[in-house]
Amino acid sequence: MSVKSTTSSLALKKDFPAAALLEMCSVRVGQTLFGLPITHILEIVGNTRPQAVPLAPEFVGGLIHYRGDVLTTVSLRQLLGMPLDAESGSKKRKQGHHDILVLECSGGCFGLLVDSVGEVLTVSSADHEPNPSILDARRSALFAGAFKLKEGLLVMLDPERLDPMRLASAA
Amino acid sequence: MDELTREFLIESQEGLDRMERCLTDLEERPQDTELLGEIFRSVHTIKGTTGFLGFKRLEKLAHAGENLLGLLRDGKLSANQPIITGLLQLMDALRGILKIIESHNLEGEGTEAETQQDAQLIIRLNELQQLKSSAVTVEAKVAVAAAGVGSPAPLAAPSSNTSSPAIPDLDTAPTPPAKTALVAPEPPKAPTEDAGKPKAAAASDSTLRVDVILLNRMMNLVGELVLTRNQILQATATDPNFTMLSRRLDMVTADLRESVMKARMQPVSNVFSKFPRIIRDLSQMLHRKVRLVMEGQETELDKSLLEAIKDPLTHAVRNSLDHGIEMPEVRIAAGKDPEGTLKLRAYQESSHVIIEVSDDGAGIGVERVRNKAIEKGLISAERAAQLNERELLQLIFLPGFSTAEAVTNVSGRGVGMDVVRTNVEKIGGKVEIESRPGKGTTLRLRIPLTLAIIPALIVRSLDQSFALPQGALSELVHIPPERVSSAIEWMEGTPLYRLRGQLLPLIFLDRMLSPSLKSSRLHLANGSRLEQESLPERDHFIAVLDADGRRFGLVVDGLADPEEIVVKPLSTVLKSIGLYSGATVLGSGDLALILDPGSIASHAGVAMGKSEEVAEVAEEVDVMASRFLLVEASERRAAVPLGDVLRIERIPLSRVEYVGYRPVLNFQGQLLPIEDSAGVFAAAAGNPDAQITVVVCREGKRHVGIAVSHVLDVSAGSDLFEAGSQHAAAGVTLLNDHVTGIVDLAAIQSLPGAEQHSDWNSIQETVA
Repeated sequence: MSVKSTTSSLALKKDFPAAALLEMCSVRVGQTLFGLPITHILEIVGNTRPQAVPLAPEFVGGLIHYRGDVLTTVSLRQLLGMPLDAESGSKKRKQGHHDILVLECSGGCFGLLVDSVGEVLTVSSADHEPNPSILDARRSALFAGAFKLKEGLLVMLDPERLDPMRLASAA
Repeated sequence: MDELTREFLIESQEGLDRMERCLTDLEERPQDTELLGEIFRSVHTIKGTTGFLGFKRLEKLAHAGENLLGLLRDGKLSANQPIITGLLQLMDALRGILKIIESHNLEGEGTEAETQQDAQLIIRLNELQQLKSSAVTVEAKVAVAAAGVGSPAPLAAPSSNTSSPAIPDLDTAPTPPAKTALVAPEPPKAPTEDAGKPKAAAASDSTLRVDVILLNRMMNLVGELVLTRNQILQATATDPNFTMLSRRLDMVTADLRESVMKARMQPVSNVFSKFPRIIRDLSQMLHRKVRLVMEGQETELDKSLLEAIKDPLTHAVRNSLDHGIEMPEVRIAAGKDPEGTLKLRAYQESSHVIIEVSDDGAGIGVERVRNKAIEKGLISAERAAQLNERELLQLIFLPGFSTAEAVTNVSGRGVGMDVVRTNVEKIGGKVEIESRPGKGTTLRLRIPLTLAIIPALIVRSLDQSFALPQGALSELVHIPPERVSSAIEWMEGTPLYRLRGQLLPLIFLDRMLSPSLKSSRLHLANGSRLEQESLPERDHFIAVLDADGRRFGLVVDGLADPEEIVVKPLSTVLKSIGLYSGATVLGSGDLALILDPGSIASHAGVAMGKSEEVAEVAEEVDVMASRFLLVEASERRAAVPLGDVLRIERIPLSRVEYVGYRPVLNFQGQLLPIEDSAGVFAAAAGNPDAQITVVVCREGKRHVGIAVSHVLDVSAGSDLFEAGSQHAAAGVTLLNDHVTGIVDLAAIQSLPGAEQHSDWNSIQETVA
């Protein structure tokens, strides 16, 4: 919980001479590898089908039952304007089932629907770059820069910016 | 805030609540030393502790009051109206300061005005002591009074940790302090302390203060357990190895839930107790004479619900006093007792607690209501002309309605009854009103026993389950596929259904929830023709709902079992859609959204048309007594009074069990004795798959079942007169031109010990 807000911490880290090591959980949506700071992840719920909510804003992926609470989920695919329910990779799953990250932000908890959850990567803050200026507005509002890894880019997501409340007010 | 202060606050508030009750009682029994002792103790405890904690404002006030109370208790003064008023003022002042302490953790420096007020109050209390009483010499009295003001300041100053001394030394004392009499109020202190202690100790041994937050959390966890249990029961239903285990889990969960709920229950007297004071003040202000009668104060209700009804109830009481009970002269002229009666009554009826506020006042003049509503533009004149009395009464619940000629301090600002209704409906309750001109008005608040777990009907639409609170549901209508096109009528694109001859607006849940369906309809529908054809030929179900006085039918694709659901809050994003009041986890493990009938009605634009339908209901109530459910049992016909019929259940014969020789049914967790005088069970006994029909009836406070072969009809019966006499024959009625015997429900024997079954048991979870 030491990292209050990823954006600010990432920005700060850039100024430090010594690079800090950060742990990021990698998730895949479509072809892109995304990263989320593990400090904000409460739990990973595998292969679950959220309950659809008619008339909800489009980015809402449905409801899930998580430890006695009913959580609203956010569909990353929907947010990025990708086709919904595209089968990803080898994982065979029933229609509408997703991996869900339960995230904690200042406004409470919510779920994030992703195609698949990968391993936890340790990255160096020295490898961080902010969003490129040519990134479209929708994406730059969601991304918090990227880490340059050997295998490619790890696009950072900021839980605060994915908070359904915030998305709703932005919409 | 430290533990000590918090404890002090809680204790003081309790003390003041007690004091309030006693003070109003004192007015009737001014010589009751026990009451006086109690009041004295409350104030004394506050004074004692405040000195210790350094709340000087509080201490000064309490001290002044204590002096006065000391004299009262010792019989040197007798309690009269001015004294009681003074003490009530003191209590208000103490409460005010406690509130400040609660929010700021210090009593505040006391603004100029506050200081002034305190000082005035102290003077007033001191003056009251001087109201002539022979036992006390003037000198001593004055001294006591002065000591009350003068002495605590230097004492408390060093320990005070407020930023500056609470009150500068006052010279409000009527005469200069004379220290000699300082001890005057002290001696009685010791004996009362001693008397009070053993009692308090005994209470604290067996009771425990628990944080409400902890209780809420426990309630949530129990809700979770109920859900898990429901799922386990479903999952293990087929496995004999688990039968015993899951049955045990079932029982323990039910017991635990009941205990936790009980822990949250508080008697309604907690809310009622403040009314004697309110009524006392109001009746003085309004120059009315009112006697308050309270009944059923021991009835218990969930704490959060109790909080929620406080305001509506106060509104209702104020209304009764201001608009209901007339001035004494008017009452005498009308041949009534000049003293009006306001009755507060609480009682439990199955899974609801009913709270009635009734007065024997003027009642509500429906003509006046009609004119006011037209005048305020709440209803058109043509519409108003069509309404009958009962409908007109409902108008007082419209926002902005008020019949008060002038806006008074008490009421008449047009924010009365609609607030009452909104607040009560917010917690899943209902408000009913009855009024007879010249006789009085009764307002009835129907409050569910608990908020967290509500009975709901699970409906299907869009291949999803939704929960519909039973509270709003009045009936269900099934339309078989072949009748869909004829039963649902269209008025230029608006679907309607004829329910017993009245047009009921319909809302298609799937169309409302799915914009694509709606838009395709818009594209398609240039006239009503196309829409009508677009209705698929399949079963339709209409849930007839009553929300905020609006009646409409919600069309769904299917019905599932009723379930007791645990309400889970939704995130703000989803709440703002406005159609859902929460979500729940069903026994199957699926999530279901809880529909909010009120919002659905507004969303679809169903008007506040307490129109034809209500009229019909009203009629129905009137004739209910003479309407009967015609049943056939082993080829004999019998009639059951329709008003007593709760529901008709079709169950497999195997579910009937026996207590001794009496057949019983485990019905929603309750044991239901079944009357089978016609031998329906015997007739069906040979067939293991036999289904029998049980009519569940209300008889007094208990429920009984009657086994029948078929339910035939509902029809109005008429009294039969014995030839040559004017006496209606008991036990028979004329139904469809046949003389039919009426089932005598009262004659059905109750089970041994059945009366101990509290209504608590009726909120058992139904296992789907």
